[in-house]
Amino acid sequence: MNALNEHPRGALHAHLDSELSLEGSLEVEHHLSDCASCRRELDTYRALRQLLQSAKATTSEAELTLLRVTRTAHLRHRQRKFLVMGGAMAAAALLALVPIPGRTSGIANEVASAHARAMEAGRTEELASKDPAAVERWLSTQSLEPVPPTEGGNGIALRGARVESLGGRRVATVVYQVGSHVVDVFAWRSAEADVEPRPTVAGHWTVCRWAHRGVAYWMVSDMGTEELEVLAGLIRNRRT
Amino acid sequence: MVDDSREFERFARPHAAAALRLARTLVTNEADARDVLQDSFLRAFRHFRGFSGESPRAWLLSIVRNVSFTLWRKQRRSEPDEPETVLEAEPDPGPSPEAGLLEACDAELVQEALRQLPTLHREVLVLREIEECSYREMASVLGVPIGTVMSRLSRARAQLVRKLAGDLRSRM
Repeated sequence: MNALNEHPRGALHAHLDSELSLEGSLEVEHHLSDCASCRRELDTYRALRQLLQSAKATTSEAELTLLRVTRTAHLRHRQRKFLVMGGAMAAAALLALVPIPGRTSGIANEVASAHARAMEAGRTEELASKDPAAVERWLSTQSLEPVPPTEGGNGIALRGARVESLGGRRVATVVYQVGSHVVDVFAWRSAEADVEPRPTVAGHWTVCRWAHRGVAYWMVSDMGTEELEVLAGLIRNRRT
Repeated sequence: MVDDSREFERFARPHAAAALRLARTLVTNEADARDVLQDSFLRAFRHFRGFSGESPRAWLLSIVRNVSFTLWRKQRRSEPDEPETVLEAEPDPGPSPEAGLLEACDAELVQEALRQLPTLHREVLVLREIEECSYREMASVLGVPIGTVMSRLSRARAQLVRKLAGDLRSRM
């Protein structure tokens, strides 16, 4: 891996936006470990992001406008009665997300591809175990560190673990079963400050990442983004 | 016809909020934004069966964009300035202000500063930071190469930070 000798001008933004490959991200982080001015600049843009997101407007009226368009056309043509959803309209029922095929760059795509490969091969666990301690022991014998949380509970069932190869690095992967969904959680060291779970979509998969105490966690599954975000919060809180 | 409605709802619902936020970003007046949203949904509804691209969200947002600019033209406003040519003339601003300075900003200050940015800069910031679009998706929505997305975004961030720093200083 080549260390960046010059300041990563554009790459700094791409790193902030998770648009670099894992290898590229690690190169930038390597530069950041030695460069206070780039670190300051990145921190400034992160703070800007927080500010913008905290001022985000809510928009349940967008769904109402959509339904007005679809249901009115429907009425005009069929003159059938339909169920009035009333208060349920603004609730989670409207927000159930169908994963939509599409391309995503960067790490989200890498972890989603790794998950897809494991699922297709039917080899999500190298060690199948419901025992958190056994899983942690196994991962440490693989010389892997950091390790994702292994405590399940409340419908979150531990399946086991495997070693995944991402961007040429060996990465610890803990596998859960939640209802009918298989969930992978990857972990690696990152200089990133703590970040709350942020869900996104990569191809047919939903991906959620968060960062806590110098570790970046990425979660992949096929459930909706809202459910995945909740799950990520629960799993993140297992470790404090 | 029933199947069409339901299928379009499934197609469009996940992106409805993003569509409204983009409409508000581009036309700023709330009543206009609602009109833009409704017109955009109607247009998308008519054509969604023919859609075969990578990202339904990008497609829907580009419709919102087109409808917004149509409204601009009706209101006899010229389309947004191309910030690349305007800002290429500006000297490199140098290192950004400290992150700590931004902590002194409240939501109102941020919203106001955002409103005062050139439309195309406000737009990329909303698409990236609020809607979390990828660069590729943004390139598709905006109809520009990814390189343009990246340079526009980095300029927009730098400009918003400088504006906020200036606004804070003038408050003191």
